Amino acid sequence: MIDLDLVKLWDNAFYGMAIIIFLVGFWIMLTHSNLIKKIIGMNIMETAIFLFFVAIGYVQGGAAPILDQQGVSYVNPLPSALILTGIVVSVSVTAFALSLVVKLYQYYGTVDANEIAYIRRNEE
Amino acid sequence: MRDLIVRVIARFIIPFIQVYGLYIVLYGHVSPGGGFAGGTVMASSLILYVMAFGARSEKRRLPEWVARSIESAGAVFFVAIGLVSLFQGTTFLANQAAGFPMGIPGRVFSAGAIFLLTFGIGMKVFSTMITLFTHLIEEEEKEGTG
Amino acid sequence: MITQHLPALIILVPLVSAFIILLLGPNYVRFARHTAMAASVVLTVFALLLLLETTQDGTIRYYFGGWQPPWGIELYIDRMTGFFLAIVSSINLLVLVFAAGVLEQEIRERVVAHYYALFLILTTSLLGIAASNDLFNIFVFLEISSVSAAALVAVNGNRYAMEAGVKYLILSTLGSGSVLLAIANIYMVTGYLNLTYIAEALPAAFAQYPLNIVASLGLIMVGLTVKAALYPLHIWLPDAHGSAPTTSSAVLSGLVVKVYIIVFIKFLFRIFPVDFIEIFPIQPNLLVMSTFGILMGSILAIRQTDIKKMLAYSTVAQVGYIFLGLGVLTPNAVIGSMLHILNHAIMKTILFLSAGCIIKLTGIREVNRLEGVGRVYPLPMAAFSLGALAMIGIPPLNGFVSKWYLGLGALDADQPFFVLIILVSSFLNGLYYLPIVIRSFFGREPRFSEIKVLPIGARFTLTALAVAIVVFGLFSALPVGYLEPAVEQLFAG
Repeated sequence: MIDLDLVKLWDNAFYGMAIIIFLVGFWIMLTHSNLIKKIIGMNIMETAIFLFFVAIGYVQGGAAPILDQQGVSYVNPLPSALILTGIVVSVSVTAFALSLVVKLYQYYGTVDANEIAYIRRNEE
Repeated sequence: MRDLIVRVIARFIIPFIQVYGLYIVLYGHVSPGGGFAGGTVMASSLILYVMAFGARSEKRRLPEWVARSIESAGAVFFVAIGLVSLFQGTTFLANQAAGFPMGIPGRVFSAGAIFLLTFGIGMKVFSTMITLFTHLIEEEEKEGTG
Repeated sequence: MITQHLPALIILVPLVSAFIILLLGPNYVRFARHTAMAASVVLTVFALLLLLETTQDGTIRYYFGGWQPPWGIELYIDRMTGFFLAIVSSINLLVLVFAAGVLEQEIRERVVAHYYALFLILTTSLLGIAASNDLFNIFVFLEISSVSAAALVAVNGNRYAMEAGVKYLILSTLGSGSVLLAIANIYMVTGYLNLTYIAEALPAAFAQYPLNIVASLGLIMVGLTVKAALYPLHIWLPDAHGSAPTTSSAVLSGLVVKVYIIVFIKFLFRIFPVDFIEIFPIQPNLLVMSTFGILMGSILAIRQTDIKKMLAYSTVAQVGYIFLGLGVLTPNAVIGSMLHILNHAIMKTILFLSAGCIIKLTGIREVNRLEGVGRVYPLPMAAFSLGALAMIGIPPLNGFVSKWYLGLGALDADQPFFVLIILVSSFLNGLYYLPIVIRSFFGREPRFSEIKVLPIGARFTLTALAVAIVVFGLFSALPVGYLEPAVEQLFAG
């Protein structure tokens, strides 16, 4: 049904890569019990989404959207501007998550979710 | 990391990083960049300072309450600029319609409120970044000393 | 002058107050408390004014910076949003009044001022999500809400709360990541971020790129149900809501979970035309998940020994009710869902606050050790009992009304099975709430070494919420009369 068009695939390689990176991040987030690695996975996943979003606005050979030249095609600035906000949000989420993990490390002496669960079960 | 080379280089390079950060903040409306990018660059200079000279001497240069005040003041400043337009009879965050001078496109003092807003964002991001960093460093140091 | 700017001011007032509190720093606790209180009073007045305005003019639009959509960011307040804004701001005010006397003893002195600021930022984000008509704006507010909510969970510094906070943060970031990917897909095929414009452009886009739309629908479903804790995706909720400070639990269970449902309603009705929903299996999915949620939430709640964890699992069940109404998707059922958003906000707030009072007064968290507490401390236990009875759905109270409308909606759709589910779940609710009520009032009177007194603010809040439970039960025509045109508006698109 779907005939493989390699040129089209190459043109849309950004999206394919974004999905692959997303899955990598998602996989790390779900399978690793180390909380730091979980947070790294979360970041990789978000980066993939940002790549996807920025790729939407990218025009092949487009210039930066500053209106001083004529007759040039511009890259759509909106996705980049939005993703800048997205990155800010992601930075703050990461910083907060990391500071919580530091606290957890002080309490439990480990950053592994399974070990923390084990310690808790023994306490109860 | 109390290395002589790092200290000398840091002392030499920090002012340049700060000026560059300020440049990105102030030229946010005429070239790529803006409050967030410039603020992070400026914060990175202080992070370098912490790396080279330790968190304690950084605390002396930029006490916590100053960083905190700049952070909150940046946000309040942003909203205050937005509220100016309410009193001019237009909607929140209006720019030209609220009577901000537009200037000549491409010059530094142009684009009315955007210039001021970018400045506010830059200050906020700068102090937020440095606060985040020093907080994480602090936890580590406390732990190191027991 | 001020009335035309209400939609913007309702978001700005808590935001600015939060930053003013932060500007002064952690030493000015009293100032922080008064600022937060004043901001909430102003907010409640604004929200009620907006509510009145929506009954007269229908929909209020506000353009930031005077830029018309699709270029500018738009705030869009229809009847449904106005309803939610009023719920958020008034519950917020009541919880802050409650916090005034109790909070300082529950968390460290040093963070109290920050707690108020965080609380206001959370309120800002809830109001922003509800009022915004721009997808990316909604995303940013979603993230603000999840960060500030996780901070409110972790704030009291005990390690269970920290752990719950990390879990909550990671899972809700996963949820917002999915939502952002969905937004990217929608923007990709329609070229707009404004909901109204997307709705116009979507049928043409669907003809050309059906896969993107399907993907975005799936991602929205997953993302928002993780954040709203619909049954199989609820795992973060009991820990987070169970270990947070009292006031945080009340707001998180009463309001924060609901706001994601409001976003879901926005996506469902405002973006996707109704015939889209019939093409894709959203309804069956929602029905299955919510049925399991209602039953499993109650069953898991029965097994809990910790009173706050029990209430948290009960929230899982109640979220199931709200999604059930959306799954049935008849006007009466959607009215039922919206009513349940209001009623559950009141009931869960009173339950969490009174449970918090009881824990604070007696130091007992275990459900089966609450024997005779109601005789020593009648007010919090009476409030708890009233909330519990409303939760079960005893007729003159408000919980009954929303269940009634959900049942009516299910009958309209010829699905009497779900009426049965509602009845069974009411029975299960009775199974875990009633023993507490009975034991606490008719059990042997315990002997406490000292009898503590509740602060006046806490007493006021509990009484006000109890009155609200009875009022919204007896005069249910009030919210229903407001919601009927709101739901009509939604179904009209």
